[in-house]
Amino acid sequence: MLISLDPQDTRPIYIQIVDEVRRALVLGTLAPDGPLPSVRDLAVKLRVNPNTVSQAYRELERQGMVYVRRGQGTYASPGQTDGTERRTLAEGVAQRALHDARRNGLGVDELIDAIRNYNRQRKHEESL
Amino acid sequence: MTSCLPTRLRDGELAVDTRGITKRFGDQVALNDVTLQVPTGAVYLLVGPNGAGKSTTLKVLLDLVRAEKGTAEVFGLDTRERAPEVRANIGYVPERPDWGYGWMRVGRLLEHHALYYPTWDPNYAARLAQKFELRLDRKMGVLSKGQARRVHLTMALAHRPPLLLLDEPTDGLDPFMRDETLGVIADHLAESPTTVVLSTHHVEEVEGLADHIGVLRNGELRAQMSRDDLNANLRRYRVEVPDGWSGVAALNGTVLRRVAAPREVQWTVWGPEAEIVQKLSGSGGTVREVVPLSLIDATLALLNPND
Repeated sequence: MLISLDPQDTRPIYIQIVDEVRRALVLGTLAPDGPLPSVRDLAVKLRVNPNTVSQAYRELERQGMVYVRRGQGTYASPGQTDGTERRTLAEGVAQRALHDARRNGLGVDELIDAIRNYNRQRKHEESL
Repeated sequence: MTSCLPTRLRDGELAVDTRGITKRFGDQVALNDVTLQVPTGAVYLLVGPNGAGKSTTLKVLLDLVRAEKGTAEVFGLDTRERAPEVRANIGYVPERPDWGYGWMRVGRLLEHHALYYPTWDPNYAARLAQKFELRLDRKMGVLSKGQARRVHLTMALAHRPPLLLLDEPTDGLDPFMRDETLGVIADHLAESPTTVVLSTHHVEEVEGLADHIGVLRNGELRAQMSRDDLNANLRRYRVEVPDGWSGVAALNGTVLRRVAAPREVQWTVWGPEAEIVQKLSGSGGTVREVVPLSLIDATLALLNPND
């Protein structure tokens, strides 16, 4: 599992870390019962305050995505198969897309149409 | 504009607590009634233009500069009356590391420095020296600014003080070493409980590290707040307005910036988002975007309102 931050993203960093872990769980790059990096290692890697990583891990634990083995570390929770995380991830993507659409003065239907059209066009070009 | 930017932190244990510090150099006011509040365990970013009083503030905490008015406490100790104890608790990286040890070799300086600090960790010092690529056989006087800075970082960190005062800690370092230094600081924080006050012109570097911010300008602390408070209250609003738009009545917040173009206005406001959006929409505008600011943008807005 790789966790990286987008410098353009102005959301609080702990939320970005939570989302990165969620993404890793959904994509399967973080397996059930797989270990997360230690707070120290991740803080050093991302050049962030260790308190921020701890905050992200606490939030992940509160949401049931990870569990803590005392003295050993933090691990991915097993059994994330009900699609909850997938839905939350999709919601995040939708939120960002809608935000961008709104900024550009576009409505939801226009956005959805544009996505469908673009995807169709892209598939068509790929098949050529 | 009536400013309602916060200048006091909410309750909590403070590692650094100054009250109404005023300092003049000749007829120039360096600090004017500065009340700096740094919570224990915080990474407090002190920002401001050159000459705003950042370095002087840090020096008051070390009793290297004495204020004419006001008091300063570090971990509850008066910095003036208990200066030796206060200094023993501080690791300091000065902005200008030029205090007369030019003839000394780096290795000897580290040994010399270690003698003053019972908590000096020689293994850690060796690790830092390696990380910072220090050349122990070189004389201090021939080092570049960046090399000297790395020696000072080693001296400041290796005794694991409860308080670090870092005045432009990455100044003069190349981009690789700047990045390494941020990693070293993150690692240090993870290993040792430390309160940090740092000043830097490279605000974007500490986006992930700083959890508090204080804004100094012309010797006055214009605002200080936690990042949580900043994230909750500071927004940029982009609003499309109709032709001949008559404007909006006072927003419930402090307008830091307002940029207007035909049919479009952008506000940077400190205040409750929901109420501000309501006001803007109610005035006939269409709120197109509400975004939080990056630390550097927030810093610029707080430093230079009404631009």
